[in-house]
Amino acid sequence: MAEHRLLTEHFGMEGIQTLAGYERAGGYQGLRRALRELTPDDLVAQVKASGLRGRGGAGFPTGTKWSFLPGDVHPRYLCVNADESEPGCFKDRALIEGDPHQLIEGTLIAAYAIQAPIAFIYIRGEYFDQRLLLERCVEEARAAGYIGRGILGSDFSCDVIVHGGAGAYICGEETALLDSLEGRRGQPRLKPPFPAVKGLYGQPTVVNNVETLSNLPHIVLRGGSWYASLGTEKSKGTRLFCCSGHIERPGTYEMLLGTPIRELLEEECGGVWKGRRLKAFQPGGGSMQVLLPEHLDLPLDMEAVAQAGSALGAGAMVFMDETTCMVNVSMRLVDFYHHESCGKCSPCREGTYFESDLMHRLERGVLAPEELTTLSDICDNMNGKCFCPLGDTATWFVMSAYAAFRDEFEAHCGAGRCPVREPRAAEAVA
Amino acid sequence: MPDTRPVEQPEDGRVGVTVDGRAVRVPKGTLVLDAATQAGVHIPVYCAHPKMDPVAVCRMCLVKLSTSPKLQPACATVVSDGMAVETRAPEVVKEQEGVLEFLLLNHPLDCPVCDRGGECDLQDFTQRYGPPTSRFPITEKVHFNKALRLSDRIELDQERCILCWRCTRYYEEITGEKELVLQQRGVHTLVATFNGQPLTSEFQGNLPEVCPVGALTHVRYRFVSRPWDLQRTASICPECSYGCNLNVDSRDFEIKRFASRDNPLVDDMWLCDRGRYSFPRWNSTDRVRRPLVREARGGVPVAVTLAGAVAAAARQLAAVREERGPGAIAVLGSPESTNEELWLLRRLAREVLGTPHLDHQLERFAGLAPAEHDLGIAETEECRAVVVLGEEPEHRAPVLRLRLFKAETKRGVRVHRLPAGTAPAQAVEAVGTGPGLVGVIADETARAGAAEIAAALAAAGATVKRLTVTRGPNGRGAKDLGVTPGLDAGYRAAAEGMSGREILEAAAAGRVGALVMLNGAALAVDGDDRDLLERALASVAVLVAVESRPGPVAQSATVLIPGHSLMEKLGTITSCEGRVQRVRAALPPATATATETGVLSMLAGALGSTGWPSDPIAVHREIVTAVPAYAQAGNGGRALFRGAPA
Ligand SMILES: Cc1cc2nc3c(=O)[nH]c(=O)nc-3n(C[C@H](O)[C@H](O)[C@H](O)COP(=O)(O)O)c2cc1C
Ligand code: SF4
Ligand code: SF4
Ligand code: FES
Repeated sequence: MAEHRLLTEHFGMEGIQTLAGYERAGGYQGLRRALRELTPDDLVAQVKASGLRGRGGAGFPTGTKWSFLPGDVHPRYLCVNADESEPGCFKDRALIEGDPHQLIEGTLIAAYAIQAPIAFIYIRGEYFDQRLLLERCVEEARAAGYIGRGILGSDFSCDVIVHGGAGAYICGEETALLDSLEGRRGQPRLKPPFPAVKGLYGQPTVVNNVETLSNLPHIVLRGGSWYASLGTEKSKGTRLFCCSGHIERPGTYEMLLGTPIRELLEEECGGVWKGRRLKAFQPGGGSMQVLLPEHLDLPLDMEAVAQAGSALGAGAMVFMDETTCMVNVSMRLVDFYHHESCGKCSPCREGTYFESDLMHRLERGVLAPEELTTLSDICDNMNGKCFCPLGDTATWFVMSAYAAFRDEFEAHCGAGRCPVREPRAAEAVA
Repeated sequence: MPDTRPVEQPEDGRVGVTVDGRAVRVPKGTLVLDAATQAGVHIPVYCAHPKMDPVAVCRMCLVKLSTSPKLQPACATVVSDGMAVETRAPEVVKEQEGVLEFLLLNHPLDCPVCDRGGECDLQDFTQRYGPPTSRFPITEKVHFNKALRLSDRIELDQERCILCWRCTRYYEEITGEKELVLQQRGVHTLVATFNGQPLTSEFQGNLPEVCPVGALTHVRYRFVSRPWDLQRTASICPECSYGCNLNVDSRDFEIKRFASRDNPLVDDMWLCDRGRYSFPRWNSTDRVRRPLVREARGGVPVAVTLAGAVAAAARQLAAVREERGPGAIAVLGSPESTNEELWLLRRLAREVLGTPHLDHQLERFAGLAPAEHDLGIAETEECRAVVVLGEEPEHRAPVLRLRLFKAETKRGVRVHRLPAGTAPAQAVEAVGTGPGLVGVIADETARAGAAEIAAALAAAGATVKRLTVTRGPNGRGAKDLGVTPGLDAGYRAAAEGMSGREILEAAAAGRVGALVMLNGAALAVDGDDRDLLERALASVAVLVAVESRPGPVAQSATVLIPGHSLMEKLGTITSCEGRVQRVRAALPPATATATETGVLSMLAGALGSTGWPSDPIAVHREIVTAVPAYAQAGNGGRALFRGAPA
């Protein structure tokens, strides 16, 4: 089985980045149908029936999230999370570049479902060209009457505002995103209250990922039960997987959920590069735990991967061949979290610093063996104790790698160098 | 054995929880932290602050809850019925050690030179809950600025900061100013002023107390003392009539700092900088130390014993009374004296010397009535709206501004700041008609306008209560106790007499034969008034003065008796809202003579009225017998004169 192209169907099509091109491809029919034939409640019911789950990382059922909004509090807001900063993730960028109006249409459908008069697209600062593209597409859609007052002759009005972030991973966390959007330091908020109850400017707010929303035109046009027929029992539809690392054909591949990971690696990615063997891979993005070659036969299914001790997360797949040093990879990921820690809570702010210091000394081969205990101990003092998941997840890869590749970690202690990447030096000493 | 009998559970909006096995019932919505406190269980906290909303950033307070698989912050989690809280579970103990290790990671560990050493939560909790050793290489610490001047009052050691966010929240939630910000992120996060501008708040002196560690420090207390070398005396701020509670911290007979002492009904734990940093003036060594007598004006001063001075005073006063009648004698107190001193001064004037010319301030305020002090400070939070007339009330009593900000932001009270001359109709328009409690706050110069506005608001349906911000620490007590012309204790009408200013003018014109002054120099502080005072002093033949500082009064006195400063005596003072609070001796007296109450009692005796109490406690007993409102107020309560004669 090859790729299953639903969201990516029109990728590469001539003129797809323009309104005319998108309309030629059948664009904005979903929005038209939603406004003409469905009440907001119908729409929420359709999305619930579809089984669509959030693609931003946590996989929360989208229809259920919408139904948490308190009945009579207005205005409500929709925020589109296009902050995509998870290491190894680039699918939202692909969706924005490959079919920008599909996202705008999905955004308007969601805004209609929750009756939001304004939708904000919060896009990461580094996606500068993509922001300009979205701004242009929003203007086109506005001029054509898809955005603004009385959309397509209905009594639903909605404005769409594109807002660029300033380059902080934490601003992808939904409440930090809201603070950043309001003009504050991007740092997560204390929950409860959850955004559904008290979000942007204190009003009920839904935050959804780019990919989540890009599914909506299809669900509206073809129905929730059709969508529910795709995928596995609990993981419905398709997902875009951002494949990178030691593979022949890195890229974004849209797969039907339930497909074995091996198929993604071998058929789409062309297998491990240079004929080498796979040593490990990380699904979900930089936050998730390492998996091993024996996990390749797992289906692309959120529950199955979770059971193996990791997660599909935000849809990344980083493959590592046999020459990879797991200490080196861990160190680089820990550095990322250390760099991105917002500094709000002590376990993450100080813990990632400590972790990073230990990992650097381990990588250089100058860590004392007993300090490995310190490493796992401080990770334990962080995991589950931080203010937000960033600090917790800063420990997940390194701890899973330490568990799976303990020898490699231990071999680094006192070695004076990296025994994996500089094996000759290690032999010379031996 | 614990009592396990089933208890009848009343539907009282309370929930039952256990904390480390101890059962407590607390109101719904109570935080786990507060439930633990009620159960007598200590949970260490850094970011949590009793006067601020939870942020749960330090993670020091994580506890195990029966309702959650993960440890939860006690400072931000609300109890639920039947919840079991464990604060000593092994995973909690490990986490506490873990957080302390993290907080100490980049901490400079310079306790030996830190002002906070000995009263630092980081030291204390590390002792009690922390890991025994550090696993982090000291060479790897991040370094910051250790002495960043934020203003002429506050200096920040950024390395000691544990980023609890209390100081930034203090500005956001308590003062409403936004002078401190967080900059950078992650481990490089630091507290700084916006754009490096100096702090300008009138309330920045609270910052070092809000800070749980030695990061924010008082410029005036840097490297001054160790807390255990300080002697602490609970007293009242001497700067204004608001009555903020404070601790006087002294060492080697010098006050080193004023520290806040939380009274939720008054200061709510905050002091203004004017009050907090006023302490150096009480350390002045420029004092009147010995009794002196001049047989006549301009004569050579002769050092005498206290008994000699009192006898001379009695002789001089009796002579004037004989020659020119009791009306030729005038008596001046000040709002810086205690109730007990003022009470005896009143008795001396009205009962012994028989003069109606008695005052404690210069201005005369017509129609003084207790109703203008009905509104309690904390009661402003219960109001629907509060009208503040002019800038004076918050200028005179700065901490009032914080109370109003709290009422506004946390209780939804509408605060209307209107110019002093606002017409009643305009005030009604601003506040709106209809029922509900409305407060009207003014200073003494705007009393008349406040009365009219209060009447108009009452006519428009509101229940109105007024608060007049009085002068000096005890202007209110002086009025309650009848040290004011035409009004005797308890606001009972008395024979009309001259006001303070009229007394000085009459004296300057030679129409006063003898002047008795208790701490009178405090009356005339600005230029014109001081001029008047000096002209009066130059013209009066007999001046009996109890005075603590050298100056024109001491120089002119025919009998000079050394006084005690407010930091050297026991007594009570009454705040503008009528709260009767105790001041205590924090410093040894600068003079060996008796205290003011003793001196006044001796003087009465020498003038033939014997048997007066001389120690403040006995005098206070006399006050509460004579003034029922003071009996009801007790120690720290409010004196309310409801139904008192107009
Ligand atoms: C540290 C952190 C970073 C995150 N970054 C992103 C992000 O870049 N994009 C995203 O869609 N969700 C991100 N999330 C998840 C969001 O908080 C949120 O769950 C998501 O946007 C909800 O959308 P969904 O329900 O459509 O998945 C992040 C979460 C955390 C804790
Ligand atoms: S875990 Fe704490 S410091 Fe880390 S990003 Fe979240 S709130 Fe900020
Ligand atoms: S300066 Fe003090 S109060 Fe402010 S964040 Fe740092 S430790 Fe907390
Ligand atoms: S005191 Fe609870 S997290 Fe800081």
